[in-house]
Amino acid sequence: MGTKKQKTKKKPSDEILETKRKRLSFLVRMEPRKMVLYPLVVFLVAALILAVHFPEKGIDLKGGVVVTVYHVSASPDELASYVKEKTGIDVRAEEFKDPITGLSGIRIYAPAKTAPSKIADEISNAIRLKYKDADVTPRVVDPTFGKIAQKQGIKAVIYAFIGMAIVVFLFFRDPVPSGTIIFSAFSDMVIALATMGILGIELTTATIAALLMLIGYTVDSNILLTTRLLRRKEDTIEDAYLSAVSTGFTMSTTTLGALFILWLVSTSEVIDSITIVLIFGLLADFMNTWIFNAGVLRWYIASPLKFSIKLRRGK
Amino acid sequence: MARKKGVKALLLNWRVLLLILFLIGSVVSMSIKGLTYGIDIGGGVALIAEPEKPVSKDTLNGIITSLQNRLNTFGVKDITIEAQHDPETGQSLIVVKIANVTLDEANQIKDLIESQGVLYMEFNGVIFATGTDVTVHSSDYGLDLQECPTCWYVGFELSGKAQNKFKKIAAGKLGWPIDIYLDPPVNSLLVVSPRVYQEMNSGDFMGAPSEGTPKPLVERLKEAFNITVVEYSNQTAEDIVENATALGKDKIILADVPEELYNDVRELVLSKDLKLRVSHYTPQQGEDLKDFVKRILNLYGPYVLKFDPAKGETTRLKLSGSAPTKEEALQEARKIYSVLRSGSLAVKLHVVSEEYISPTLGASFKKQAIIAGIGALIAVLLIVYFHYRRWRIAIPVASTSLFEVIIILGIAALIRWNLDLPSIAGIIAAIGTGVDQQIVITDELLGGTAGRVTRRMSALRRMARAFFIIFASAATTIVAMSFLLVYFVGTLKGFAVTTILGVLIGVLVTRPAYAEIAKYLLSLE
Repeated sequence: MGTKKQKTKKKPSDEILETKRKRLSFLVRMEPRKMVLYPLVVFLVAALILAVHFPEKGIDLKGGVVVTVYHVSASPDELASYVKEKTGIDVRAEEFKDPITGLSGIRIYAPAKTAPSKIADEISNAIRLKYKDADVTPRVVDPTFGKIAQKQGIKAVIYAFIGMAIVVFLFFRDPVPSGTIIFSAFSDMVIALATMGILGIELTTATIAALLMLIGYTVDSNILLTTRLLRRKEDTIEDAYLSAVSTGFTMSTTTLGALFILWLVSTSEVIDSITIVLIFGLLADFMNTWIFNAGVLRWYIASPLKFSIKLRRGK
Repeated sequence: MARKKGVKALLLNWRVLLLILFLIGSVVSMSIKGLTYGIDIGGGVALIAEPEKPVSKDTLNGIITSLQNRLNTFGVKDITIEAQHDPETGQSLIVVKIANVTLDEANQIKDLIESQGVLYMEFNGVIFATGTDVTVHSSDYGLDLQECPTCWYVGFELSGKAQNKFKKIAAGKLGWPIDIYLDPPVNSLLVVSPRVYQEMNSGDFMGAPSEGTPKPLVERLKEAFNITVVEYSNQTAEDIVENATALGKDKIILADVPEELYNDVRELVLSKDLKLRVSHYTPQQGEDLKDFVKRILNLYGPYVLKFDPAKGETTRLKLSGSAPTKEEALQEARKIYSVLRSGSLAVKLHVVSEEYISPTLGASFKKQAIIAGIGALIAVLLIVYFHYRRWRIAIPVASTSLFEVIIILGIAALIRWNLDLPSIAGIIAAIGTGVDQQIVITDELLGGTAGRVTRRMSALRRMARAFFIIFASAATTIVAMSFLLVYFVGTLKGFAVTTILGVLIGVLVTRPAYAEIAKYLLSLE
C-alpha cells in the first residue's frame, strides 16, 4: 500500500489543482484547538451584536406602507415634501437605480398606525394627480398580518432546523459530527443575522427564505467534509482534509460568484436582500465548515471517543 | 480506468437518455402551454384577507366561491383565490391574486372583498328579500330532468316576511321578471352608450308577461337601488361629475364609452378631491350586450315568475333555467346556488396585505431576470474554468445547470405554476446547490489522478461516496423546504416549490447524467 506514483506525465491542469492545494495547506498546519476557538469567538461576537442590535423588521413583518414610483421627474426630497404638504402624512422617500436596465424610481415609506390602506390610497392619488405618467405601485401590510407572518416565519425556521437536524443525525448516526453540523448551521444563521443588523438589511419574509436557503447550503458543505473525513480513503487525515477543502473552496467561490452577479444585476428588493444574506451566510459557512467543523473532526478522529465510526460501516 | 466509450454509447446510456427525454419534454411543454407569471412579474394585485372571526373550513369554502362569483364582474381577468386554514385556531387567510389590472381596478377589488356580498331579490322596482331572508339547503341544486335534459334548478326558502311581501307585489303577475343581484352598484350614476341604453330598455329584461307591463329595467334600478341610468350623448366630464354630485351619488360607472372620458372624469374627481368612485366597463370579446349589462349590475337572471304567489302555500321556491349542454347547466346551477348562499355568509373580510405591481413594470422585471440568469451562468462557467483550467469540465457543469433551469421551467409550465420573484429565487437556490454537487462529483472523479493522493478506491466507490453526499444534502434541503410549503401562505410558497422541484430534478435526472458525461469526457484525457 505504498504511495505509488500514478502518472508519469502531469497535465498542466493538475498543476493548477496542486497549487490550489498548496495555497490551502495553511489550513492543514493550523492547530485543531485554534480551528475550534477562532470561529467560536466569531460566533460569540455575532451573538453579542444580535443581542444589542437585532435586524430591523421589514414592513411585511411589522406592517406599513411603501409606495414605489417609477417614471417620475422629481427628486426624492421634492416628492416627499409634496406628499407631506398634500396629504399631511409624514413620509420618507428614497431613490434607487439599476445600473444595467437603467430603471430608476423612488420608494416612499409611511408609518402604518391606523388604516394603512387609506394612507396608501391618499399617497398614490396625490402622486398621480401631479405626475400623470408615473407608475405608482403601493404595497400595504396591516400590522395584524405582520404578526401572522412573523409567527409563520419563526415556525418555518424552527421546524426546518429541527427537520434538518433529524435528517443529518439519521445520515451520520454519531452525536459528535451531527452535533457539529447542526451547530455550524446555527452559527451561520447567527452570523448572517448579525451582518444584516450591521448593514441595515431588514428582516422580511424574503430574508427568512434566505436564512432557510442557508441551511441547505451549509448542510451541503458540512456533509461533504464529514463524509470525506469519516469515510476516508486517503492515507492521512491531512490528505483527506486537503482534498475536501479544495472541493469546498471551488464550491463556495462558484456559488459566491453567481450570487454576486445576481446581486449586481437585480433591482428587485426581494432578490437583492436574499443574495446579500446568502453571500454573508456563505462566507460564515466557509469558516464554520472548513475551520470549525474540520477542527472538531480532526480532534475527534484522533481521540479515543470515536467509538461509533467503525460500527457504522464495515465495508 | 479510462475505458474508451464512444459518444454513441454515452448517448444511449439510460441516465443521459433520461436527461435528453426530460429536456425535450420541457421544451415541448413550454412551447405548448407557455410560462405563466406571478403578479410581481406580470403585473397585477395580490391581496391577503382575513375573516373577521374564526370560521369553519366549510364556511371558508363558501366565502371563496362567493368571492369568485363577485370578482367575475371584472371580466375574464386571471383570478386565483387560495386559502389557508388552521384547524386548531380556526384562523384563516385568503389570498386573492389578479393579473393585469389597473390601480383603480385594484382598489375596487379591495373594496369588493371588504364589503359583504349583499344579495337582493327585486320585483318590479321593489326589493322583497335580501340575503338573510334566503335559506338554501345544502346541495339543493342540480339538473331538472323532468323538465328537459339540460334544465337546472336551485331550491331555496324565503322568510315569512319576505314571502308575504312577495305575495303582495307579485300576485297574478305571471311571466313578469324577477331580478337577483349580488352587490349591485347601489347609489350610482350609470352612464352608458346608446346601444347599451337601448339594450337595457329592450325585451331582454322584461320577462314574458302574460298580462300588464312590468316597469323597464332602468326604472326598476332607480326605484330599488337609486341607480340613475343616463344615455351617453357627448356629455363632458364636468357635466357627468356635476350631475353625480347634484344627485348625491357615491359612484360613477361608465360603460361602453370612450376611454378618454373615463380618464377625464377620474382626473376631475381626483383634482376636486371628491368622494366618488369611478369605474369603467367595456364589453369583452364575444360578450353580447345582455351579458354585458348583467355584468355591470351584478344581475343574475332576470328570472320569470312561473306561478301565482297568491295561490297555494308553498314555502319552498325554485329557480330554474336551461343551458345548451348538461355541463353548462350544472355549472350555472352551482353558480346560482353559491350566489343565493353567499347572502347568508355574514362574515366580513378584512384586507390585511396588498401589493400592486403595474403591468408595464413586469416587462422590465422579466428582462432583468433573464439578464441575471445569463450573468450568473457565465459566472459559473468562468469560475469553474478558472478552478480546473479545462473547458471539458466547465462547459458540462454550466450547461447541466442550464438544462436544470429548462427542466424546472418546463415542469412549471406543465403544472401551470405562476412564476413570481420568490419562485425565481428558488430556481437560483436549486441551481446553486446543483453546481456545488457537480463539483463534488468532478473532484471525486479527478481524485484518483491528482496530487499525492493515492487511489485506494475504484471509480465506482468514489461515485458512491459522491452520491451519498448528494443524497444527504438533497434530503435535508427537501425536508427544510417542506416546512415552508406547509407553514407559509402566499409569497414564499413559490420559493419552496421551485427549490424542491429543482433539488428533485437534480438528484434524479441531471446529476446522474452529469456524472456519466464527466466520466466520459475525463476518460478521453
